[in-house]
Amino acid sequence: MIDIQALTFTYKDETAPALENITLSVPEGGFLGIIGPAGAGKTTLARAIGGIVPHHYPGDYYGSVKVDGLDTIDNRLTDLSRIVGTVFQDVDSQIISSVVEDELLYGMENFGIPHDEIPRRMEFALKQVGIESLRERTIASLSGGQRQKVAIASVIALRPKVLVLDEPTGELDPASSRQIFTLLKTLNEEYGITVVIIEQKIMLLCEFARQLMVLDHGRIFVKGDTREVLSHAEELEALGVNCPRVAYLSRLLEKETRETLPVCVSIEEAEAMVRGLMK
Amino acid sequence: MIKLENVSFAYAAAGPTVENLSFHVEKGEFVALLGANGAGKTTTVKLIDGLIKPTKGRVLVNGEDTAKTRVSRRARQVGFLFQNPDRQICKNTVREEIAFGLRAARGDLGEDGIKNRVEETLAAFHFTGEEEPFSLSRGQRQRVALASVLAVEPQILILDEPTTGLDYSECCHIMDTISRMNRDGQVTVVMVCHDMEVVLDYAQRALVMAGGRLLGDGPVGKIFRDRELMERASVLPPQITGLAMRLGEGFENADTAEELAAVVMRRREGRRKQA
Repeated sequence: MIDIQALTFTYKDETAPALENITLSVPEGGFLGIIGPAGAGKTTLARAIGGIVPHHYPGDYYGSVKVDGLDTIDNRLTDLSRIVGTVFQDVDSQIISSVVEDELLYGMENFGIPHDEIPRRMEFALKQVGIESLRERTIASLSGGQRQKVAIASVIALRPKVLVLDEPTGELDPASSRQIFTLLKTLNEEYGITVVIIEQKIMLLCEFARQLMVLDHGRIFVKGDTREVLSHAEELEALGVNCPRVAYLSRLLEKETRETLPVCVSIEEAEAMVRGLMK
Repeated sequence: MIKLENVSFAYAAAGPTVENLSFHVEKGEFVALLGANGAGKTTTVKLIDGLIKPTKGRVLVNGEDTAKTRVSRRARQVGFLFQNPDRQICKNTVREEIAFGLRAARGDLGEDGIKNRVEETLAAFHFTGEEEPFSLSRGQRQRVALASVLAVEPQILILDEPTTGLDYSECCHIMDTISRMNRDGQVTVVMVCHDMEVVLDYAQRALVMAGGRLLGDGPVGKIFRDRELMERASVLPPQITGLAMRLGEGFENADTAEELAAVVMRRREGRRKQA
């Protein structure tokens, strides 16, 4: 669904590339998590998948990015936005309406979604994100976390094939953050939407993403299946990326028991592992 | 050091944001405020800082009623680190930024004293002073904001989600600096934080809020293990504590991977001896 070949990009007026030689392939229905220290190029990569780099942010661009077979360079943003829905880190730059309902309507009408279908999609999006009660509220009266949910709902209402989210839970509390990840899992598993998410909350990322990519200084530091990436825990920590504590626990118990243990990514898995060790 | 007595506060537009809040914080404590978005945590810390005044009840800082304390005096007592550093940074270089806060709050030091304090602070935070805050990363800007707040030497430091938007190493850097000053007895800390791993690692005591009320107050490890309280406040315990709770008997004090692994190894040893 996403195919990136040797992408190197330098923003106009900058000397160092923001991304360097990125090659990445995400299959249809994939769920990729991206993490890395500040300035690693995560946001630039999110922009490149949606075509916002280089259409909105010009610069020196080498390599290619294809989504659903369309080369992002050769296609207009209006066409790309039907495939890729992006939730930006700064949600306020994304929201244009003054009332929640209008914000969702705006996107759907722009996309020419049939009028008889709009109410159903509206309800679906509001319900999935858990903001039905905010439907008639003004955007100005919402908290940062609530605005984040509105931005997510308005993108979901458009049913893109690919959903790209740049730290979408930054302003959310743990319960709401988990709710967003659970929603992404549903959209991914039941509707086949390909998900790419940038996130600093490592525990949620490891529990939900099937693949992980760690970026550092614009380059791929490591990528692969989540558990495989976590097996590089020590190198990741040296880079400033921590691992979930249950993953650390599996490593610790492996050393102490000298048994081969799975890399745990959730409390449930860790519980099974520990109970197994105490049998 | 901090005393809230039956404090209520309501913003003009909406219903009460905090209601009938009473608690004390003693000198040298490191207290975390837990709760979901909208629980009233930020309102509570703003009340402590005197940024807002209670509509009912009293807030006392060092025995002084915040409703009657002058802003300049309060700035010496209480330092406030916001979630978003861009809300407090206003100068073009790090040196000017630190000097700005000092001139406002510590006129008593005199211009030479302020200059010395600026240089000491720059050295402690490994800044040259010439850096331009807005060309730094968010984590670095948060460190600039923290440096300016701590340069004033407040007795109380308030942190409102200090680690939001920071990567792991930036987060550790900020929290380790604060923790060191707290342990040295230099500052009492009240922190609003959504990251329970950070709360577990750094705070000793937790206050749990929901719907503007105080639901619980106690040592962090004990609070996290109060299932009913955590549920009412929509707070999830940190991973290892959550795992220890599922494992039950024998794991009551395991909050770190090391502690939990030690219990597992003791059990295995016990089994081996039995067999």
